[in-house]
Amino acid sequence: MDMPRSTAIQFDGVTKRFVTPDGNQYTAVGEITFEIPGGEFVSIVGPTGCGKSTVLNLAAGLIFPNHGQITIFEVPLVGINRHAAYQFQSDGILPWKTAEENVMLGLQIRRVPVAQARNQARTWLVKVGLSGFENRYPHQLSGGMRKRVALAQSLIVEPEILLMDEPFSALDEQTREFMEEDLLDICTEYHKTVLFVTHDLEEAIALSDRVLLLSAGPGARPIGDYRVDIPRPREVADIRLNPSFTAIYRDIWERLRGEVMKAYERK
Amino acid sequence: MRGSKYSSLIIKQIGIFILIIVLWEGLTRLGWIDSFFFSRPSLISVRFYKWFTSGTIYAHIYMTTIETLLAFIIGSFVGVIFGLLFARIPTLAHLFDPYIKIANALPRIALAPIFALWFGLGILSKVAFGVTLVFFIVFFNTYRGVREVDPNIFNNARMLGANERDLFRHVFLPSAMSWILASLHTSVGMALVGAVVGEYLGAARGLGYLIAQAEGVFDTTGVFTGLVVLSIFVLLIDLIVTLVERWLLKWRPEVSSS
Repeated sequence: MDMPRSTAIQFDGVTKRFVTPDGNQYTAVGEITFEIPGGEFVSIVGPTGCGKSTVLNLAAGLIFPNHGQITIFEVPLVGINRHAAYQFQSDGILPWKTAEENVMLGLQIRRVPVAQARNQARTWLVKVGLSGFENRYPHQLSGGMRKRVALAQSLIVEPEILLMDEPFSALDEQTREFMEEDLLDICTEYHKTVLFVTHDLEEAIALSDRVLLLSAGPGARPIGDYRVDIPRPREVADIRLNPSFTAIYRDIWERLRGEVMKAYERK
Repeated sequence: MRGSKYSSLIIKQIGIFILIIVLWEGLTRLGWIDSFFFSRPSLISVRFYKWFTSGTIYAHIYMTTIETLLAFIIGSFVGVIFGLLFARIPTLAHLFDPYIKIANALPRIALAPIFALWFGLGILSKVAFGVTLVFFIVFFNTYRGVREVDPNIFNNARMLGANERDLFRHVFLPSAMSWILASLHTSVGMALVGAVVGEYLGAARGLGYLIAQAEGVFDTTGVFTGLVVLSIFVLLIDLIVTLVERWLLKWRPEVSSS
């Protein structure tokens, strides 16, 4: 509404090749083109090893395309994507820092005075439901709590874009549902653009405005772009009972299954 | 349960100690073992007591402590700096790789004569000797610690905007620290080895000097008493290291005690 609806992430014919250990070239993703408007929640699904994480790393600026161009808010991406925060599949939080120190890291890096950074970190820990755990080290927290620390750590620097690589895949079902609900609340409240990679189609549909289906690798590219027309705010727990959910699920799953089969045959 | 098991273990350990002492004392008294070469626990205790009551031992302990500390601090500091540099600048690592390997493979004792020549018979030659021993342990551990940083943690910090300096402070140094601390027992031990061996070879003070002096006049009681003092010294240092380690690695799930 009050946010500009400019394009947050744009991939234009992006190709990424890797050199395999035996010296061959492997094209992870080929000629990818897609566009994500600001404030949209987009999931990428696809068979295992199809290069979903590669797309995310490209958008993050952690790796660079061999061909094509990535544009972030209309500006070509060079180096690390300063508009984005990244939620890694395994924890990216620092084991030698307490929850609070982890959350305030981004502010410290931005040379915010320590007292102020600490205050803001406390506020964020409360927001993600971790008040009272400020001085715990990551190993003293449960998997779900560590995810919450990671989320607060990312959000405190107020990124416009959230890149998430199967962030909840290691969590148990209940914790996961809680995290998904919280993520949706936060994204709605702060109007984040999200690029969410998952192998779980249900999760993708429940959370997203759009689901991009990636083909089997090598040279994976989007072969489906599905809009999820389920009104927000959503209840992740109930959404699976929604008839339009089932319809979209069946739609995507039919194509996805074909790609999964292909991926298996190539192995 | 565990406590009683532990205390029974302690009792057995003390038992072994008493057994050795009794055998040693008895066999030397019976003349089965020559007390000229092996001295006798009672003689050693008397000498030990004398050294500490007359206060002559303190100057030697002080000297060895200073040498050990200096060797440890300087060796660690230089080792961390070079470890970080080599790990983050691969060209540097490739360029100096053969030289590092040669220097590390060289038996350090062979350097003692040249160090004595360069630094004299005072404290400096012992410290320099200890530094060459400590440096490589800390250097390799720092290098490894930096290279083995979890790529997710590294990338996470980069995404949060960390530049090379921030990465050093928040990621590489703490990561390397756990490796360095894991080798702390070894590196402190090496600093002490440097000090004592240096003193054997020529000094005017220190525990190594004390033992070498006693040996020079066939005073085996002096040699053994020197060894006892040295053992206690090592145990105390090891205890301090364990405490420091426990404090610095409090973020880790479990601190190994070995």
